[in-house]
Amino acid sequence: MSKENVKIVGFLCNWCSYAGADMAGTARIRQPAQLRIVRLPCTGRVDPLLILKAFQEGADGVLVSGCHPGDCHYNEGNYHARRRLEVLARMLPALGIDPARFHYTWVSASEGARWAEVVESFTGQVKQAVGGGSVSQTNEVDKMV
Amino acid sequence: MDDLIATIKQVLAETDMVLGWTRSAAAGVAVPARFHTPREAEAAVFDSTCVHNLAVHLPRLKDRRVGIVAKGCDVKSIVQLIAEREIERDRVRVIGVRCPGMVDVKKAWRCFGFGKKVEDAGGQVAMEGKTVAREEILLAKCRGCRDAVPVIRDAAVGGVQGQSVAAAGELAGIRKRFASMSVDERRRFWRDQFSRCIRCYACREACPLCFCRDVCAMQTREPHWTGGGVDARQSEMAQLIRISHMAGRCTGCEECERACPVGIPLMLLLEEQNALIEELFGYRAGTDPEATPPLLTFDAGKDAGGGGL
Amino acid sequence: MRIGVFVCQCGTNIAATVATDRVVEAARAMLGVIHAESIQYTCSDPGQRAIIDAIQQKDLTRVVMAGCSPRMHETTFRRAVQRGGMNPFMLEMVNIREHCSWIHPDIDQGTLKAIDLVRKGVARVRRQAPLSGSTVPVTRAALVIGGGVAGIQAALDMADAGIPVTLVEKGPTIGGNMARLDKTFPTLDCSSCILTPRMVEVKNHDNIKLIVNAEVDQVRGHIGSFEVDIRRKATCVIEQKCTGCMICQEKCPSRAPDEFNAGMGESKAISIAFPQAVPLVAGLRKEHCRQFVKGRCGVCQKVCPADAIDYEQEDEIVSGAFGAVVVATGYDLYDWTGSYPTYGMGRYPDVITSMQYERLLSASGPTGGHVRRPSDGAEPQQVVFISCIGSRDESVGRPQCCSVGCMYTAKQAILTKEHIPDSQSYIFYIDIRAAGKGYDEFSRRAQTEFGALYIRGRVGKIYPRGGKLIVMGTDTLAGEQVEIEADLVVLATGLTAARGAGELARKLNISYDGYEFFTEGHPKLKPVETNTGGVFLAGACQGPKDIPATVAQASAAAAKVIGLLSRGELETSPVVAAVDRNRCVGCFKCRDVCPYGAVEQEQLPGGRAVAHVIDSLCQGCGLCNVACPPSTISLKGYTDNQLIAEVVEVLR
Repeated sequence: MSKENVKIVGFLCNWCSYAGADMAGTARIRQPAQLRIVRLPCTGRVDPLLILKAFQEGADGVLVSGCHPGDCHYNEGNYHARRRLEVLARMLPALGIDPARFHYTWVSASEGARWAEVVESFTGQVKQAVGGGSVSQTNEVDKMV
Repeated sequence: MDDLIATIKQVLAETDMVLGWTRSAAAGVAVPARFHTPREAEAAVFDSTCVHNLAVHLPRLKDRRVGIVAKGCDVKSIVQLIAEREIERDRVRVIGVRCPGMVDVKKAWRCFGFGKKVEDAGGQVAMEGKTVAREEILLAKCRGCRDAVPVIRDAAVGGVQGQSVAAAGELAGIRKRFASMSVDERRRFWRDQFSRCIRCYACREACPLCFCRDVCAMQTREPHWTGGGVDARQSEMAQLIRISHMAGRCTGCEECERACPVGIPLMLLLEEQNALIEELFGYRAGTDPEATPPLLTFDAGKDAGGGGL
Repeated sequence: MRIGVFVCQCGTNIAATVATDRVVEAARAMLGVIHAESIQYTCSDPGQRAIIDAIQQKDLTRVVMAGCSPRMHETTFRRAVQRGGMNPFMLEMVNIREHCSWIHPDIDQGTLKAIDLVRKGVARVRRQAPLSGSTVPVTRAALVIGGGVAGIQAALDMADAGIPVTLVEKGPTIGGNMARLDKTFPTLDCSSCILTPRMVEVKNHDNIKLIVNAEVDQVRGHIGSFEVDIRRKATCVIEQKCTGCMICQEKCPSRAPDEFNAGMGESKAISIAFPQAVPLVAGLRKEHCRQFVKGRCGVCQKVCPADAIDYEQEDEIVSGAFGAVVVATGYDLYDWTGSYPTYGMGRYPDVITSMQYERLLSASGPTGGHVRRPSDGAEPQQVVFISCIGSRDESVGRPQCCSVGCMYTAKQAILTKEHIPDSQSYIFYIDIRAAGKGYDEFSRRAQTEFGALYIRGRVGKIYPRGGKLIVMGTDTLAGEQVEIEADLVVLATGLTAARGAGELARKLNISYDGYEFFTEGHPKLKPVETNTGGVFLAGACQGPKDIPATVAQASAAAAKVIGLLSRGELETSPVVAAVDRNRCVGCFKCRDVCPYGAVEQEQLPGGRAVAHVIDSLCQGCGLCNVACPPSTISLKGYTDNQLIAEVVEVLR
């Protein structure tokens, strides 16, 4: 797998980050094309297992984005998500997954430009993380088993 | 032992049964037993081969009044079950026992031979003249044990004043190797480890906190996280499900690892997760029956993480 | 399974960077797809017709619509497939415009991504079940938060339509900022003359219950049935008894700042904000009152002929049930004193804000409408106006345009000339923004007819010299330094969200931007809605705007509420959690995490306790689904298997 062809899965809440990504699109802000967005009502719906599943299925990176803490459409969803995702993020090294391949962040519906920056920098970060090739090779082996 | 038997008899007066151990003549070690009558209780024993975490039986006995002989670490499972409302505190009578540290029965058999009677005598484990220092064949979890004193108890045998039976010491064996591995090496390590999994679910069955039983997500198609095959990917996903579902709940009793017939070092991941949950949320599962498990709540002011890029 | 895939070209919006024919071709090969076509404008009537025809001719059971964001047109296409005879939830929208064609100029990249996304949508819709909601009764009453012109307009419109309205105002009177204005641009009609009759109308309207000195304390419930606790703060005056005679204010020995007059002049600890206040009821400010500060006084109690003073009065919680809420909390003026050090940080009495100047111009103001500068009461001859204070200024972290500063500054320059015919106004500006009807003509009149001198540039420094203020600035058009000896400097301070707006937003569960202005549901198509059903926006709380725009938005919000409350019941979203009771293990972790108390215990015959979801309370966040280890509680439309399939398909 070449460095350019990374695959990234994004889990976005409908109310803030998905709308923020829409706004970036409406503003025609060019973004790297490796991200595939899965729309959810809330980051509180993001099961950490979905992220592990994505890595197992060959994702090079996984990005989760929701409303800023305090701004959750469901009041508390992203607070629960923050705990779940923080545990997951810190477990990744033990599981043998480079933590640089995962990130969770907050982007509001009005932060279209920031969303584009998030995509840009995370894509770069993932390309760098898998650049050595070893991890993606591992994925390839995993896929064959 | 008389003290133990007398206590069990007392507890039996107000319960339907007491979970404890008796000695198996065939295996030479203690095995779990249910005592329903004072006469049955005469057969109760407690020694350093009472390795089982009997709390695993409690969720399925939640409508009964049950007494349970429990080591400090077993009590943590009971506490966690209470904290998660799986069992009611009022229906359980905990008989705390002074734990000398548990031996790895497989190691004992390697020393003495299978089926030979393993005696337990003051720091030594003996069999027909041969002795070995207990410390040498202790279970890993007993080293640096922080939980020898049962957090809750209704009766106590032998004075439950805890003792650290062996210092934590330096990381040894597989723990040491794992700690020094790179992320990529760990990836390969787990792929190899999980490729050995036979999907027997012994890990789950031995776990007192795995109460989903026949609807367990490791096995279902709804949700269909993974197929039922025994290749590394499917087995790994199954194990990741269990580890994820144990976050903030695992008391570190090590029963899953002890039960694993192929010896997958599951505790490497569970210990890591338990440690980081303690670091993040100041929470140790099984230490406070009133505390809310950390992944069922949040602290908007204190919690941190996320953002940026 | 008979899936139809429709790939919208959106004119060239999609087709320019996504090869829609290749997407169609790829879709045809996907499992379950029996029909795929590309349509030029799918949201148009013929476009929707094409979907309906395909459903009926090919007996489609599921539809994937690849086009714009589902946030844009999901409802449109759900209705379309419903007209075709399908359950509306058997439609899946795939976003290949905002998330693809508009952001990826490379046609290959865009096309490959679009195909991935369509594959994801097909996998998802294959696992979709038909959904339908239940109905909940609607409480036919509305709450309006904020009693400025926006709240007044919305309340009157709704009340006139027969809806019982409760209007909650934080301050002692309704009228808001508009009540403090002298004249309004571009017509120069008197602000009070147009506003106060509306205020009185509110007071006298049978369908309006007015609660002043009150704030929203707690909000529960959801669209159609909100329960709101309103905290009425103690004012030590019994509203029903007070006749507004103002004797207390006359006799009160404790001086207090005059908030209505923006700090120009003084008031008393017990006072009525202004003579046209509604309700005309006195209020006591404890922090300034001798009775409370020193512990003894009691003058107002002694002199009150109506026996309306009660020092023991406590805050009171008034609870109400409402079907909808209109938020109209308005704006506060930017506090410039902390961030413009070279303008004196408020140390020079003759550097004042536009609102303070407004009060000096007003006949009901502290100077009776005679323009007298604060330092010595002299009539100013040279008046300098500085635009864009706390707006369009990145250096103080406020990049947005206040949208009214150019116009009200022109107005104030005109009024200055009217008040003091031999005066000269200078206006430092960045750009003149006069986009409204009659606005440009108005600001030109300020220059041509009233002789205001416009200087394009910023003021660098203001300092006092011999009773004058020396204003040093740059004229960027002439390219030279300007120094003006001013008698008075008026800062055109920008509009900020009202203090506490963020806190209120969190109570109402609506979004707000980094400046605490509330976020509308859609910047174009849902200008008065919020992301929370049943909560609507009116006026400057949504963003700086002038009076006509505020009133228009307030009427629009009222129309939305009238429409909503005209229905006896509402269909709830079918995207709620559901429990598979045969598989539920009864651990109730779902109940632990539910923010809405929507999970209850259900006792099955045989004694087993399982979780049960109360549909009308569930908002569909899915927290429970993740908390449930075997996912026996599951969010409809976002089941584990749907999400797993999406992940697998985009990585295929």
